[in-house]
Amino acid sequence: MERHLILEDGTVFSGQGFGAPATTFGEIIFDTATSGYQETITNPIYDGQMIVFAMPVVGADGIHAEAYESTTPKIRGVVVHDLAEVSTNRQRRMNLDRFLQHHNIPGLYEVDTRKLIRHLRETGPQKATIVDVVDDHAVDQLVATVLTNKQVQNTATPKAYANPGHGFHIIVIDFGLKHGILRVLGDYDANVTVLPYTTTVDEVLTLDPDGIILSTGPGNPEDLPDSVLTLIRVLQTKMPLLGLGLGHELLALANGAEIQALPAEYHGMNHPIQEIISQQLFYARQGRGYVIDEDSLDGKKLFVTHRDLVDGSIQGIRLRDNPAFSVQFFPDGAPGPLEANGIFADFFETVADYVQKNS
Amino acid sequence: MANKVVLDQDSMQRALTRITYEILERNKGGQNLILVGIKTRGEYLAHRIADRLEQLEQVQIPVMAIDVTNYRDDHLDSGDDLGLDPAEKLNIANQNIVLVDDVLFTGRTTRAALDALIQIGRPQAIALAVLVDRGHRELPIRADFVGKNIPTAQNEKIKVKVKEFDGEDSVEIVH
Amino acid sequence: MYKKIVETPVKKVLFIGGGETDFGLQGESDAAIYQVLPILNGLGYTVTVLDDNPYSLALESPAATGFLRTLTVQNVKKIIKSQKVDGVMPLFGGVRALRLWDQVISEWREADGVLPQTLGLSASELHEVNDGTLLFDRIEEIGLSVTASAVVHNQEEANEMLRDLELPLVIRAHNPVQGTTRQIVDRLDDFDHVVNRVMGQSLTNEVLIAKAINGLKEVSVLVVRDRDGNCLQVGASEDMDPIGIHTADSLSVAPVLTVSDQILQQMRIQAFAIADLIGLRGVLHVQFAFDEKTGEIYVIKVSPYLDHLANRMAVMTGYPVMLVAAQLAMGKKITEVYLPNAFHEKTAIMEPVMDHIVVKLPVFSFGDLEAMGIKVNRQLNSVQKSVGSALGFGRTFVEAMEKAIRSAHFNNRSFSPKYMADVSDDELIQQLIHPQDNRVLLLIEALRRGYEVDELAELTNIDEFYFYQLNRLIEIEQSVDRDNIDADALRQAKKFGLSDGLIARFWQTNFQAIRTLARQNNIQPTYKALEPSAGEFPEHARQFFATFEEENESEPICAQSVLIIGPGAFRMGDGASAGYMTSVTLSELHRLDYQTIIMNNNAADPTLLPHLSDKQYLEPLEVSDVMSVVDKEQPHAILVPGNRKKLIEALQEMGQHVIVFPKEKHHPSGPEKHQSEFSLNFFYDGEEKHPLVVTQHRPGEVRILDQAIDPALLDDLTLASPGLYQIIWRVDLDAWVSKIPLPDLRVDTWLRPMPYGHIAYLTKVLDIPLGRMIVRAWVGQLNEADRQYLAAIKGQHETAKLAMVAKNTDFDLHLQPDKAIDLTRFEMGAKVVPYESENSDGQE
Repeated sequence: MERHLILEDGTVFSGQGFGAPATTFGEIIFDTATSGYQETITNPIYDGQMIVFAMPVVGADGIHAEAYESTTPKIRGVVVHDLAEVSTNRQRRMNLDRFLQHHNIPGLYEVDTRKLIRHLRETGPQKATIVDVVDDHAVDQLVATVLTNKQVQNTATPKAYANPGHGFHIIVIDFGLKHGILRVLGDYDANVTVLPYTTTVDEVLTLDPDGIILSTGPGNPEDLPDSVLTLIRVLQTKMPLLGLGLGHELLALANGAEIQALPAEYHGMNHPIQEIISQQLFYARQGRGYVIDEDSLDGKKLFVTHRDLVDGSIQGIRLRDNPAFSVQFFPDGAPGPLEANGIFADFFETVADYVQKNS
Repeated sequence: MANKVVLDQDSMQRALTRITYEILERNKGGQNLILVGIKTRGEYLAHRIADRLEQLEQVQIPVMAIDVTNYRDDHLDSGDDLGLDPAEKLNIANQNIVLVDDVLFTGRTTRAALDALIQIGRPQAIALAVLVDRGHRELPIRADFVGKNIPTAQNEKIKVKVKEFDGEDSVEIVH
Repeated sequence: MYKKIVETPVKKVLFIGGGETDFGLQGESDAAIYQVLPILNGLGYTVTVLDDNPYSLALESPAATGFLRTLTVQNVKKIIKSQKVDGVMPLFGGVRALRLWDQVISEWREADGVLPQTLGLSASELHEVNDGTLLFDRIEEIGLSVTASAVVHNQEEANEMLRDLELPLVIRAHNPVQGTTRQIVDRLDDFDHVVNRVMGQSLTNEVLIAKAINGLKEVSVLVVRDRDGNCLQVGASEDMDPIGIHTADSLSVAPVLTVSDQILQQMRIQAFAIADLIGLRGVLHVQFAFDEKTGEIYVIKVSPYLDHLANRMAVMTGYPVMLVAAQLAMGKKITEVYLPNAFHEKTAIMEPVMDHIVVKLPVFSFGDLEAMGIKVNRQLNSVQKSVGSALGFGRTFVEAMEKAIRSAHFNNRSFSPKYMADVSDDELIQQLIHPQDNRVLLLIEALRRGYEVDELAELTNIDEFYFYQLNRLIEIEQSVDRDNIDADALRQAKKFGLSDGLIARFWQTNFQAIRTLARQNNIQPTYKALEPSAGEFPEHARQFFATFEEENESEPICAQSVLIIGPGAFRMGDGASAGYMTSVTLSELHRLDYQTIIMNNNAADPTLLPHLSDKQYLEPLEVSDVMSVVDKEQPHAILVPGNRKKLIEALQEMGQHVIVFPKEKHHPSGPEKHQSEFSLNFFYDGEEKHPLVVTQHRPGEVRILDQAIDPALLDDLTLASPGLYQIIWRVDLDAWVSKIPLPDLRVDTWLRPMPYGHIAYLTKVLDIPLGRMIVRAWVGQLNEADRQYLAAIKGQHETAKLAMVAKNTDFDLHLQPDKAIDLTRFEMGAKVVPYESENSDGQE
């Protein structure tokens, strides 16, 4: 059935509906990766957003049990050029179309996605809606819609839970984490406790952790309560700390830096990232709408450790006086390159060092 | 039996990177810092740490090298030849020295290096950075910065290779 | 004293070329070398090229000194000495150059002076790569999976391995005399025979036996690595057909569609690990097998040099693989690579991403051979049978596949979708299990006859995705078939890549009617730019492909443009030289300041190199595709090969200015065994005819005679367009001669346009830019130097003693023909060979 995508600036793109027949609102962004649509769609960082994929054929690999980055996708809509109908789960019952239906997420295919992406790269992300009929009512609805800024609250766990292992005790503070992080921690046999972001210093320290991870998550870091920054400021002096994605932005905020919204968001995995200290290049999945403001960064407090060589943006920082560091990209892959996995190895070496020196 | 690689090129690079960050954490930046590499491979490692400091802080940290093969207490021909080029002798008075070596084992090499350094000046402090700590200390010496702790048996050997000298980066256990 | 490693910088580089075209080696080496020469020259290097391929474009590049010589150790050494070469680049000449350079190193003596540096790979690594087994041992040591294998020296050892590994086994020559010789044995009866035969193909009489992994999915990954170990993935491609069918003979698709991100990422880091392992500076192609049931990934082939995939990836993604690889091999870091202004400044360090689908389809020559009464074994297996390939670009798999089919078979009736209706059910099953060249059509036919996707997937080991897609194609064709002539059906059909001609056939009308209907309903192609950022950045793209969507990105380049219709996929015959001739034409028009547009779909020759033309359309070459581009660009002139009769007519009917490139519809047959064919070669500049030389042609070889020709002999001839022509006659003569009495040219001879291969050969051996002169004659720009060349020659040229010899292709290995194949007509490639005197017996 023909359906339509209306952008806030009035542009309309038409295509065929798939997934859920619902009307949806969200902020539309584009993604240039050619693999990993399932991981991307289920990544909680896309809470409140719609994605248009540059990859023209989406769905050819079906839906796999091992490719979920969250149990419930939070994405608001999926726009593709061509939809492939393949079921790959063992029951051969789930393909992308049925998966989106099941989660009440609308999709649109047979769209000139390249035109849409070329448009979005000029305008930046826009508020958008997927509807059956383009009329004044639909446009009014779109204009009147205020998108939520409570994405972290939407996606992060409200309650603590454990993912036990036999290794170091790592506390993950959850801002809407993706499963990839837990998967990697599992590779290190870490004894993991996931705590809600509303947790307190006392609660954390009572659990006697060996290291802290500030998880990835959706939205603007400035929408989070100040208590989060206070928590980070204390924890970063106590033990090794690693921030990822939103967690990286929060570490920067906690140490006096400022965050800016990017004029055009970047979602993909083809930009070279340079580790400044070794000058080595590598690639990693990125999904970012915000960046640390270069000028606000206090060089006496923080190092810049990584940069994106395409737009020059800061991709990693490290505290001068404490073993606390963070990266903007996703070193766990899922989807995306694995060569940035070393960030976790560094973290665990630092934790091992810390544990040895304090025992 | 084949040698077992315990650190490959990538993990060796990361270990040096981590040591560099820790040196900066400890020294509050690179002020009054001198790196002293213990020949042969410690020297290359010291230069790599200096390169990293330069990338990060845009400062050039002095590096010198000492050769302690003739200086160890278990060496028959103990003498006072440090293997130091006079031109390379830096003024180490009141400086923060980081000694850099590839492997920390009995501690005798480190002790020899300490003896040698104290002969040429009186530094503010001396710290020790090693790529590998393999245990079996015979002297009360402890590294401040360790790339990797690798517990070994007495009869095993650790072979560190650096690209500049050996053509590749790796750490192997030789049986 | 501490020293940083400083390598003495290389100043004078020798490229070893890939030699003559054969199965598995089209023009890609030459195209790659030709492309990088101007850049290296611009960066201050002095460059020399050695090749024995008369169709080489690189040998004629003004940016290098070319040596047309046999590829031997002695010649390499001589050139190193005379040109003071201090660095040798073997990685651009394929396996052959790699072997040759390895051999030069092992035969290098003190008296030869200082051994030049090996660029891209250390000499010892190069040796291990050549050996193969040593490299795979090391790959296994770093924890990657390879298939169990062993080298055996005799039948007893082979039998031992047979018991250990069990059938099916892959058997190939260790240190083979030439290219790939992989054979899969799944019947015990074949084992002894194959081992024996393969042993004969090994220089060292050694045979490599490995466990076969038939039925697994094959994925190719292409990466580059610089001297500091920075790695980047250029792209990956998957084969539709499972392992067991040679990758060149399989339909393949990029980007990879049916493999999960997790597996692709594993393959990526494994490819990086292998590049690190061998310390590569350049480009690496790794072929993987993936077992979907166990999740296991096997490394099956490692090619740390420029090959067909590197060229194809460059065309498919817009990433300048060759320019980057050459500079990495010279020791630059990837962040230091220099690219011409036409590229985005970050192109070299950004991994290219595709927002289009490219299907590669193999091109077989079975039909052409059978038309000549030669039967071959059409069954596809692990030995390559295809001679070339064509690419189809689209925004869906079906569209890309349809366009690839049209590109590969634009004049082949057997690819009409209705043709398969005659195949019996038994044959169908047989061919599903033992696939032939018409694989795709057979799969479609099976679906038509009601086979379920599940059973087909199980029977063929082809991913279900492809059957779902083929089902869509059937639906489209049926909807077109059912409907009366209808604009909506036409729109759907065009969207999925069907040509006007095919749709016209369904509706029993002509393509003009289809064009009119399309125009009336505004069903026009939208051209999408092909660029490596998938729309993320504004691009200055010059490559385009057609699709049917909303936004068109291609605007006409100028009023005075020239559109060149490319030769398409390589086929047997003068395909190898057609790429050469088209490229020379592009280069000359560019030099004369014309804005040029090329249409082509073959990535293996130089025609699509970005610097050879101002704009490239990656399209099929059927009448409707060409018409659409003509509508868009309104070129000043269109250059069409003479064998495209229908296209020429259609364009002329439209009132277009068509320049016909003289070319016969079929490549001429060669003389019989006991015969000599003589040819009086001349150049027609549009007004006058200029005789060049007489050549003698015996089966498989051409030589130049040393005799003068009186221009008055040609006075009576009338010719349609400027070009190079031959007056041909045959004599019962089985020896080489230096002079031949001319017959009465009006009676006993016939006239034909000079085959492209002869143009390339004579250009080099006579040292006259003949190809370029044809172009200059077309546009009325012959110059004084040209006239002097022509005046000076008059048949008295002191000809170089280099014969052009047809590639002695091992047809028995590849095609198993039932009778001898005419090497003139079905040439795979050619090389030059020096000869001593005119009356020798022609053997080297």
